[in-house]
Amino acid sequence: MSTVVPIFTPDAESVRRSQLTAFMAFCEAEAGARFGDPAAFHEWSVREFRRFWSLFLRWSGLIVEGNPEPVCLGDLCETAVFFPNLRLSYAENLLASGPGREDDRPALTALDETGRVLHLTRGELRREVIRVARGLRALGIGPGSRVAAIARNTEAPVIACLAATALGATWSSASPDLGTEAILNRFGPLSPALLFAHTHYPYQGIDRPLAERVREVAAGLPSLEAFVALDEGNGEEGGVGGLSSHTLDGLGRDSAPSDSEWTWPRVPFNHPLFVMFSSGTTGPPKCIMHGVGGTLVEHQKEQRLHSDFGPADALLFQTSCGWMMWNWQLSALACGTRIVLYDGSVTHPEEDALWRIVGRERVTVFGTSPPYLQFSHDSRIVPRESADLTALRAMQSTGSILFDRHYDWVQDNVKSLPLQSISGGTDIIGCFVLGNPNLPVYRGEAQCVSLAMGVSALAGENAPAGRGELVCSNPFPSRPVAFFGDPDGARFHAAYFAQNEGVWTHGDFIELTSRGSARIHGRSDGVLNIRGIRIGPAEIYQILTHVPEIAESMAIEQRREDEAGGCRLVLLVVLKAGLTLDRPLTLRIKKELKERGSAVHVPSVIAQVAELPTTHSNKRSERAARDAANGDPVTNAGALKNPASLDAIRDHAALR
Amino acid sequence: MPTSDAGIRQVVIDWLDDNYHFGDAAEKIKDDEMSFIENGILDSLGFVQLILHLENTAKIKINRTELSRKNFDSMRKILDYVGSHPDFRPAA
Repeated sequence: MSTVVPIFTPDAESVRRSQLTAFMAFCEAEAGARFGDPAAFHEWSVREFRRFWSLFLRWSGLIVEGNPEPVCLGDLCETAVFFPNLRLSYAENLLASGPGREDDRPALTALDETGRVLHLTRGELRREVIRVARGLRALGIGPGSRVAAIARNTEAPVIACLAATALGATWSSASPDLGTEAILNRFGPLSPALLFAHTHYPYQGIDRPLAERVREVAAGLPSLEAFVALDEGNGEEGGVGGLSSHTLDGLGRDSAPSDSEWTWPRVPFNHPLFVMFSSGTTGPPKCIMHGVGGTLVEHQKEQRLHSDFGPADALLFQTSCGWMMWNWQLSALACGTRIVLYDGSVTHPEEDALWRIVGRERVTVFGTSPPYLQFSHDSRIVPRESADLTALRAMQSTGSILFDRHYDWVQDNVKSLPLQSISGGTDIIGCFVLGNPNLPVYRGEAQCVSLAMGVSALAGENAPAGRGELVCSNPFPSRPVAFFGDPDGARFHAAYFAQNEGVWTHGDFIELTSRGSARIHGRSDGVLNIRGIRIGPAEIYQILTHVPEIAESMAIEQRREDEAGGCRLVLLVVLKAGLTLDRPLTLRIKKELKERGSAVHVPSVIAQVAELPTTHSNKRSERAARDAANGDPVTNAGALKNPASLDAIRDHAALR
Repeated sequence: MPTSDAGIRQVVIDWLDDNYHFGDAAEKIKDDEMSFIENGILDSLGFVQLILHLENTAKIKINRTELSRKNFDSMRKILDYVGSHPDFRPAA
């Protein structure tokens, strides 16, 4: 239960100086309107979303060419097209110099658990990107190419991504801890022309080999024409049989060293920039294509207006290259903000290693997740005692639900600052609810709904009291351009628009407060969010085809407030006739999921059941099983042909 | 609830198998003195989870000031710490 007393209130001076205040004044002057309060501004930004985006584009100073009219073709969220007559370059906008973004200012710091520290100024980073872009162009990479990466969170994928996308290629990345099968499920449908990869990575003091997995992945991608090792130095181990092999350090070395002759190719606003992946309850992972312009303007809006990022900031977001927050933090370069990358174990060589880096690197905004805050709490880490956090001005958290206790822990053990709960996802490569530099913070709540997003809580028979399905009713530019490999858009429609015709249905339960803040209450569909990482059950079912004892299975989330992330992954299995789930089989199932998927795919509990809840139309219902495991009323029990299966789940000893 | 060194050992092995090694934990722990962290038996995030699990299963209350690697970073250290804990109830 939230209290109406804020845990943090911004001072009047920081409100007066925020970019949000400046932008509101700009809109008031341009639109001839008066916004009495933040709610009125938000309401205007939704109602007049074309005006909002047009003014924001002008105010932001983003480098674009062409006609900014029309702002948006169409009124339907599903089919609207933003800025069809504009062209731009993502990399150019991230790397341009200007006031507060001079070439000699630091742009990127890359650290890892071995103690390696690398700083690049804006000028150095831009030269590196141009050098690599020239090398990639010589390899035939250009508009329409798709490139994929298995990468540590170092400067190398930043350079590779900006170089490839500068040429009009589309980027996808995965982290090194993902298994071969899971990587191929993602990259395979894209038929990438080029694979970037690290060939080893440090974790918890051990240098772990990756070359063999990279070779397996490359062997499973017949479309590949070239391989580029991302390791420092010559990357001798990175050679992949039969492919033209290169190193990032070596690309473009024979081209002109100066960037003065370089022209950034500008592509249409809706040209695909990133392909992200999201797995559902059925079928292979969806390949979600996000456009250049939509990604950039949405990130700029979230980062400049809602997060107040600027050239004085240093952002460290705890992420891997396989999570959308990597793409999100990358865009902060366009704010003139220095991005601080960290690769490796966050607890090596000491438990509070990451907090020490936040202090040492003078990080101003630290992005993290509820599981890391819970770990810090459980380990009795007191960051304010072990690190100099004077530069830190805000924290952001996403991935799973922030509980009230996390806000208290931060206030008591870090410092008095806004802890901003931000939530949205891969599907929109951004946020529906997030922070606001002008508003107070209430425990357990995101400060506000994102500007120009017409978010509401759609009450319905499936929604718990006071909560509703998170829906967005108006067009927004970071809606995916399309799914890759979905030519008629049928899968795209089914994913977001089939449930409530005409509006985006996100798959989360949301509660909107009278204060304009919001609480997210977890998934409303069968998709899993384990320790902040989203997993589609379909991926788990695919892996379990390698366990012949299993007749069928169902993966669900069970609420456990004591668990990191607030829930645990439960796997229900129906075994073939006469078999019993014993410990060796339990461990073998877990091992398959770890090796073919990742550690996140491993369930906390595996429970044998006689049958799975199934509807009269023979669809298995993850939602019904989840409600039963949580002890909640099962709203669709009437649609089940075997409602007794719910009792077995509700009463199962392993699930208590 | 474990009431002996063998019982504590089994709790640790089972937890490592359930969460990290899936049946291979006993084989990977070559001797009781081997550092768990330095040899990749578990990471620091798991380290805290293991200690919380030991608290719950052995019914001991671990002083947070003692929650460090010097007390828990090998099988020997865990056996010594838990076995000598005032709350620990060995079999008669």
